Amino acid sequence: MSGQRLAALTASAVLFLLLLLQNRPAELLRRVTFLRATKSRELALRRLAGSGAAFDRNYFVFLESVRRLIPPGTPGVAISVEKPTTQALYLASYALAPVPVLLSPRQVPPRWIAAVYGPERPAGWREIAAIPGGALYARP
Amino acid sequence: MSTLALPLSAVAAILIAAGTVGYGVAGALVPRGRPWLAERLAWSFAAGLALVGGSVALAFSLHAAPGWLPFLVLSTLVVLPARFLRIRERAAVLPSPRLSPVSTLLLVVLFMGVALYALRALTEPMWANDYVAIWGFKGKTFYFERRVAERLFRWLSLSFSHPDYPLGLPLLYAGVAFLLGRWDDHAMALLFPFLQAATLLALFGWLRRRGASRELALGAAALLSFFEPLYRAFTTGMAEVPLSFGLLLLGTSVCDRLDRTDRGAPRRVALASVVCTATKNEGLYFVAAALVLAALFSPERKGFAARAAAMLALPAALVVAAHRLIRGSQPLRDFDFSLLARSGALAARVKESVATAVAETPAAAWIGVAALAVLLLAGRDSAPGNRLLALAACGVAAYVFLPALAVRGPAWLVGTAFFRAVAALAPLVAAGAAARLIPLWPEPAAFSRDGSTGSAPGPAASAASPGRPTLSTRES
Repeated sequence: MSGQRLAALTASAVLFLLLLLQNRPAELLRRVTFLRATKSRELALRRLAGSGAAFDRNYFVFLESVRRLIPPGTPGVAISVEKPTTQALYLASYALAPVPVLLSPRQVPPRWIAAVYGPERPAGWREIAAIPGGALYARP
Repeated sequence: MSTLALPLSAVAAILIAAGTVGYGVAGALVPRGRPWLAERLAWSFAAGLALVGGSVALAFSLHAAPGWLPFLVLSTLVVLPARFLRIRERAAVLPSPRLSPVSTLLLVVLFMGVALYALRALTEPMWANDYVAIWGFKGKTFYFERRVAERLFRWLSLSFSHPDYPLGLPLLYAGVAFLLGRWDDHAMALLFPFLQAATLLALFGWLRRRGASRELALGAAALLSFFEPLYRAFTTGMAEVPLSFGLLLLGTSVCDRLDRTDRGAPRRVALASVVCTATKNEGLYFVAAALVLAALFSPERKGFAARAAAMLALPAALVVAAHRLIRGSQPLRDFDFSLLARSGALAARVKESVATAVAETPAAAWIGVAALAVLLLAGRDSAPGNRLLALAACGVAAYVFLPALAVRGPAWLVGTAFFRAVAALAPLVAAGAAARLIPLWPEPAAFSRDGSTGSAPGPAASAASPGRPTLSTRES
C-alpha cells in the first residue's frame, strides 16, 4: 500500500472515530425511550415533553391553553409574563401563530386580548377564562 | 397505528410523491442510465421540493387555496416541457463489480448514519430557536393565513423572525402542510433525513461518475452521514441542512458545466442557483462566489461570462426579484455595513471574530481539521476537487468575516451561528476531498465509466481533468 493511501486511510479512520464518538449510546437510548413513550400522544403533548418547552413546561401548558381558548377573530394576544425572555417570545409566537403576539407590551393594542402568566390580575380588564398558570382577559 | 406514525407515513408519502414528480423534471437535467441514477434521484428530490414550495407561491399569487391541485397543476406545467427538453443521451451501462466486503461494510455504516440522524430528527417536534422563531413560525403563519402575511415584513415586533431571510424553506413547510392537510411539526421533521439521504446520493453519484471506486464514494458518503455537527437534532428545522444539499448541487453542477460533462449541466446549475438563493441569504453569496470561481477556473473560454451569468446569476436574480415583489426591500438588520468604511474598527472586529472562532473550537474539532488536512495532502491535484474546496473556502472566509460586521458584536455571531454555518459546508468539502483521492482509489479499469478498454486514459486521469464522459446517443 502506498504511503499516500495509508495516510488517507488513517486520516479517514481518525475522522470516523471522532464522528462515531459524537454518538453517545446513553443519549441514543434516551431518544429511543423518549420516542417510544411519546409516539402515541397528541402533538401538543409531544412538544410539551420535548426540548422546546424544557425552559418552562408550565409556560407551554399555559400557551397551549391560550391557543385553544382564543375567541375567533381575535386580532392578537398580549402575553404578560413576570420575566420576558426571547425564548418565551419565540415559543409564544410560534405556538399561537398565526395570531400575532406581543410579550409584556407597555400598551395592549385595541381589540387584542391579554393572557397573563402568573397570579397577577390586570386592573380594569374582565376575565374571559381561567387557564393553567394564569388567565385570559378582555377589555370590558 | 400511533398518533405519530400516521402523519409520519403521510409525510413520507408526500416526499416520495414530490420526488416522483421531480423525477420527471430531472429528465431534463440529468442524462439517463445507471451511472447517473443516484444523482438523478437527488436532483429529482430537489426539483420535487422546489415544486412543493413553488405551488404554494403560485396559489398565493392567484389567491387560490394551496394543496394538491396547485401542486399537480404546477407539476404538469413543469414536467411537460421537461419531457420535451429531456436529455436523450444515455450513459453507457457498464458491468458493475459485485459489492466487495469493504463496500458492504461502508454501506452498512452509511445506513447507520442515516438511521441515527433520523432518530435525532424525529425524537420530538422540531424545536430549535431558529425553527421556532424564523422558519417554522413563517411557515405556520403562511399555512394558517393562506397567504403571505404582510405584517411579517412590516411589524417591528416581528423583526426577530428576520424579514430579510429568504422564504423558500417556510414555503416548503407550508407546502408540505397543505399537502398533508394539517400542520404537524413533528412528522414534517422527516424532511430532514430525506434531505440527508438526497445529499448522500448526490455525493455518491457524482464521485462515482467522476471515476471514484465504489469504496471511495461509499466511504465519503458514510463519513458524511455520520457528520453530527450538521445532522443533529438542533439543526433539524433550520436552513443549514437544506442549504448544504443546495451547495453540493451547486458545486458539483458548476464543475460539470466547466468540464462540459453533459448537456444537462447548465440546467442543473440554474436549479441549484435557485435552491441556494431561496434557502438562505448566503446562498446568493455562494452563487456569486461560484460565478467568480467559474470565471477564474476557465479564463480562456470565450463568452463564458455571459453564459455563466445566464446559468447562475439570472435564476438567482429571479428569486431575489420575486422576494422583492412579495416583501419589498429588507435591509440586513443584523449587520452594520458602515464598518466597511472604517478600516481600523473593522480590523479589530475581524481579529475578535477570528480569535473567538479559534477559542471556541473544541479540541476534537481541531483533530478533525488536522485529519482533513492529511486527507487533502494525501490526495492529488484535481481540478473539480479544487473548485469545490475553493467554494467551501469562500464560505469559511465569509463566515469568519461576517461576524465582524455584526451589530451585536463578533463574539455573539460566532457563538450563535459560526459552527453550524460552517458545518453546512461539509458535503462540499467531502466531495472536494474525495475527488482529490480518486487517483488513489479509482474505479477498476475493467469497470471504468469512461468506456475505455484500458488503453485510453483511465478514470484517475479523467478525474483530474475529466473529459466528456461516454454518452451514447441512443434515443429513448
